[in-house]
Amino acid sequence: MTLFHFFNCAILTFGPHAVYYSATPLSEYDTLGTSIKAALVYLGTALVKLVCLATFLKVSENDSFDPYQELLKALIGFIDVAGLYFALTQLTHRNISQNHKYQAVGLGWAFADSVLHRLAPLWVGARGLEFTWDFILQGLEANANLVLSISLAALGSLMWLRKNKPKTLIPIIYACAGIVATMPSITRSAAHLLFLAYGSKDHLCFYLRKGLGWHFPKVVGFELFTSLVMAFISWQLFSACQRPSS
Amino acid sequence: MSSKNPRERQMLESIYSMIAVVFILVTCVDLCDAATVVDVYRLIQYDISGVPFGSRFATLNHHAGSLHFAPGVDLSRTVLVIPVRELNITFVKEYISQRKPLGGLLFLLPQMFNFGNREAATEGKYQIREKELMKTVLAELERLLIHANIPYPVYFAFEDDDIDAVLADVKRSDVSGQPATATTGGYKLVVSAPEPKKIASPSITNIQGWLPGLKADGDPNQLPTIAIVASYDTFGTAPALSVGSDSNGSGVVALLELARLFSLLYSNPKTRGRYNLLFGLTSGGPYNYNGTHKWLRSFDQRQRESIDYAICLNSIGSWDNELWIHVSKPPENAFIKQIFEGFSTVAEELGFKVGLKHKKINISNPRVAWEHEQFSKLRVTAATLSELSAAPELLENTGGLSDSRHFINETAIVRSIKLVAESIARHVYGRQGKNIQIFADNTSLAVNAPYIRSWLDLLSKTPRVAPFLSKNDPFVTALKKELEDHTREVNAHHEVLDEMFTLYDSTKAKLNIYQVASVTFDLLLLLVLGSYLIILFTFLVITTRGLDDLISLFRRPPSRKVKTA
Repeated sequence: MTLFHFFNCAILTFGPHAVYYSATPLSEYDTLGTSIKAALVYLGTALVKLVCLATFLKVSENDSFDPYQELLKALIGFIDVAGLYFALTQLTHRNISQNHKYQAVGLGWAFADSVLHRLAPLWVGARGLEFTWDFILQGLEANANLVLSISLAALGSLMWLRKNKPKTLIPIIYACAGIVATMPSITRSAAHLLFLAYGSKDHLCFYLRKGLGWHFPKVVGFELFTSLVMAFISWQLFSACQRPSS
Repeated sequence: MSSKNPRERQMLESIYSMIAVVFILVTCVDLCDAATVVDVYRLIQYDISGVPFGSRFATLNHHAGSLHFAPGVDLSRTVLVIPVRELNITFVKEYISQRKPLGGLLFLLPQMFNFGNREAATEGKYQIREKELMKTVLAELERLLIHANIPYPVYFAFEDDDIDAVLADVKRSDVSGQPATATTGGYKLVVSAPEPKKIASPSITNIQGWLPGLKADGDPNQLPTIAIVASYDTFGTAPALSVGSDSNGSGVVALLELARLFSLLYSNPKTRGRYNLLFGLTSGGPYNYNGTHKWLRSFDQRQRESIDYAICLNSIGSWDNELWIHVSKPPENAFIKQIFEGFSTVAEELGFKVGLKHKKINISNPRVAWEHEQFSKLRVTAATLSELSAAPELLENTGGLSDSRHFINETAIVRSIKLVAESIARHVYGRQGKNIQIFADNTSLAVNAPYIRSWLDLLSKTPRVAPFLSKNDPFVTALKKELEDHTREVNAHHEVLDEMFTLYDSTKAKLNIYQVASVTFDLLLLLVLGSYLIILFTFLVITTRGLDDLISLFRRPPSRKVKTA
């Protein structure tokens, strides 16, 4: 029974990546190598981020929302962007079109993120007899993360790989890239504001197991919504930039 | 140099914070396991001459159910969770006597009986009447469970917030008509305990101590002996909870205090009496005083003949105005008359009554109801001092669940000690009938109430079922040390309990309560996820490759088949 639940949550968390790979032309052009390289770059980025967080962040005794700490975490989020830059530009890819390159990199990035952050809790937790909704919500979060990663990779490829861009769109591109890169911090701050709106007694729920207590569904919903919005915006930007060259 | 140190400290701090974060993550992962973990105590499992009694199983893995189940529902895979406060004894009796199939029973005891939890045990939340009612209900339940042969696990647990919440949930779902089974979710109770095994050669330990009397120079005869005996072990429904404060914690405490008082008198040769005093803490009390029997056989004939008389103490902790002396020799016997008169005179002075009860012993009947009967069988004059007016049945009044510290009256124990001490002292010093008080209050020989209280508290926290007390059990060692403080020539004799009684182990376990989802939920989720992935796949194919590609995906296999055919 419980292995069944683990299987369900696993296909929710990792299924979309496999489906994306097989459904889009990525499988036809055999871009698996690119995705794997991107995943390895993500691993390195994650290690660097961990060391930076450990060095610069203070673990506060009382669980209060410190804006400066959040700002610091957001800045460290930009290391993500640096990692993506490295993956998109510095690695040697086979002769695949830009369109597919960013998709493959984004896919590999998101897959590594899911495996690193969600596989271990899933394996240990979902197999027990006890039932919680957490793992299903975690899977939905993985889906949102996939969309976000692909849109960030798209914006990244726009920024660094495309040479001729319409001048008016450049600041918008950079702004969107900034927003997508700091999305985790934005989510946390929004969740915190949500609790402030609901009253201070819910503060205690905030710092429960996954850090978000029984507001977790709302946070996941917010993440899904914002990821779809950002994906739409980056798609629009991408197609806008594609028009002059084609 | 100074600029380096803050930086080093910062590095160390960051490393510690990293380690802290890792630990937090690890514990978070650990906490994922069970909703609640509760300590539970198993019903006793024993055989008398091969006839099985008690609960015969320990492992539990069923859904929780409450008393509000719909009639006619199959409960063979359900564990009924019954708080003792709402117990309907006729219902339980019916279930057990008619041997209806049941997955298991879990009784919830009020925190009042939890001797391990000091704050809860001393809470004066309950009125006296409620306490008395609880005591009678528990006593009846114990009687029922001990003498039944139950083919499923029965456990006891203490009420606390977690388990109360679980029970409320279960009751709610039962009332709404959806019993918890594998397909509708609910709570699952899991106890993973090893298969209960027989305790091979259970050991019982008898502890004795002597206070030698003053022998006159040149007197070749052995001094007469007076024995004071109490059995210290218990037997109850849940062996891990059988503390037996009254039966026989009160007797043990009285014996220790008497040993202390007489050792004060005997320490000075001028006040040493011309009697030896023998103090015996025996084990095996509930099993027809098997320990006493073996202890007496260890004495040789001469020693036994020198015992003038023996006083056995049994349950002297919760009486008001009347104590009983039980004898097996007829009351007309001169010795018995002398002893009884001595006791009743002192009792009158102290302001209460002492009655005499005679019960003939039947040598062919193995049942030994009082400890003095073991002495009488070997022709030693003996009597039992007790608050009980009638002889208890086998395994009754042996210190079960209902025998808790709350129902003990310390002044009763103090008065009993005064009675025994004065009576024996008057006999030893030849002052019968004279109006003197040797152990008067506010003297150095006064009965020490704090001493009694501290030993009573210790006894009320220690479960003492004899087969579960090993030879080197710390409690037995503590008793031995205490006797060594007051008496001389302390010996501990280890015996093996009579084969008639066999006890089984596995008395304590941990209960895991899991909140489970039903199978239908998992299947539904699989369906939803499957359709989501299929929709995602078609959407992506249509948007990236076009609708034609999607259709061609389905058209290719048939054309291939045509080719190969």
